[in-house]
Amino acid sequence: MVSARISVEHVTKRFASGAVTVFEDLDLAVRDGEALCILGPSGCGKTTLLRCMHGLAGLDGGRIVVDGVEVRAPSRKVAMVFQHFGLMPWKRVRENVAYGLELARLPRATIEERVERYIDMVGLRGFERAYPYALSGGMQQRVGLARALAVEPDILLMDEPFGSLDALTREVLQNELLRIYQEHPRTMVFITHSIEEAIALGDRVVVLSARPARVREILAVDIPRPRTVVSVIASPRFVDLRDRCWRLLRKEAA
Amino acid sequence: MKAEAAQASVSARPRSRRILGGSDLAIRLASVLVVLGTWEFLGPSLNPGILKPPSAILAAFPVLIQNGELQLALGQSLRVYVLGMAIALVVGLVLGIASGRARVLYNVIDPWVSALYSIPAVALIPVIGVALGYTGDLPRIATVALFGVFPILINTQQGVRNVDPGLLEVARAFSSSERRLWKDVVVPSALPFILAGVRLAIGRGLIGMIVAEFLIGLAGLGYLIIVYQNTFRIDRMFVPVIVVAVIGIALMGFVQFIEGRVAPWLRREQQ
Repeated sequence: MVSARISVEHVTKRFASGAVTVFEDLDLAVRDGEALCILGPSGCGKTTLLRCMHGLAGLDGGRIVVDGVEVRAPSRKVAMVFQHFGLMPWKRVRENVAYGLELARLPRATIEERVERYIDMVGLRGFERAYPYALSGGMQQRVGLARALAVEPDILLMDEPFGSLDALTREVLQNELLRIYQEHPRTMVFITHSIEEAIALGDRVVVLSARPARVREILAVDIPRPRTVVSVIASPRFVDLRDRCWRLLRKEAA
Repeated sequence: MKAEAAQASVSARPRSRRILGGSDLAIRLASVLVVLGTWEFLGPSLNPGILKPPSAILAAFPVLIQNGELQLALGQSLRVYVLGMAIALVVGLVLGIASGRARVLYNVIDPWVSALYSIPAVALIPVIGVALGYTGDLPRIATVALFGVFPILINTQQGVRNVDPGLLEVARAFSSSERRLWKDVVVPSALPFILAGVRLAIGRGLIGMIVAEFLIGLAGLGYLIIVYQNTFRIDRMFVPVIVVAVIGIALMGFVQFIEGRVAPWLRREQQ
């Protein structure tokens, strides 16, 4: 058995003073070093589950354990990339990338070095002094990604990070993420409602049921790395995996 | 109250002025020249006693400077204005931030803020006179502060309350301390609201200053206006009026300059 990095144990979450059950008795284990994509019908609580994994939202039952410690508040070992990018409009690109590093009170020289490195890694060279308003959505999310990577977290949580981007930009960023993961594999949980995206990025795909969400099925994506979006789609396994995801989701959406 | 603050931040922001083309400028200049020219050449023929031409007003400036009246009045007015606005700024910012942050305090002060802000501030000047007397700078300082404090307080409060929840979550996700949360998120996000409030307060504070000089305490530019009105020296009466206008325009420009320095990201965002 591969060791679990994140262990979600019998968790229950309710909204609206208990009237709405988002998920109930949900179990899930995220393995060390894997890219796990969570796929589910819209409104099933994928984002809420991710927020709970980071301690941004509390639970109404069960527990989530990261590296043997129960999650109660956000940890610096975990970093998050947001669907809404979450950049500070008043900070330039490099200040946004440095944000997590400054909060962690790292030495000035370390911050400088990391900011440079991750600005290069996500392809933002030349935009260091730009304010977010001057950047396209894709470029803004590159900043969001660099900000999360810069703290060099053990675990990367990604909440539909490319959900608001156009198809072309999305594919470019998916490829960037595949390349970055290839160079520096680390445990990653990726929320998405796109089947193609889940298969392209994930080592495993978790399909959630409609609310109250439970793990419907877990599919192993046996498509070898290194991958690109195109190589995944061209893979003979892709169609089969996509059809299985479709069937599972269609049942839930009905 | 929310709508008010929003409206305030829109109306107090004549952004278009920043992107004036050459033809816009020419039309503006022509407008000023036509009105002043008409006034100059037509005014005296209509009512020579009252409608003194712009040239006569201009000529009155050196007179009032030479006899020292203008400097004296300006000094008195500015002293009161600066102190009153300083109080408005401190009280407005402190109460605005505190009440924007703590719901209890918001509920404690909101009825009073709403009530006092709805009453025309002029109506409260007699109260200030009764409470603080009619002599010395104090009642006039209090009037300026009363006129200026509410736009700053309300806008600061709304600015703090309207912080993007997404950014608050980002700060939490990166384990921000409370102090850094204010530095990185709350204050910068409230800043445009606060500056809009300050711009409104500048104008209202000037009104407070002049009205206080009309009604309580015989001093300053307002008093000078009254003196020359009573003696029918309309040319001289206009001198302090123009000085007040210049003060207002200069302060507005100053705040816009400050805004460009402390919030450079706003310039593009609002276009």
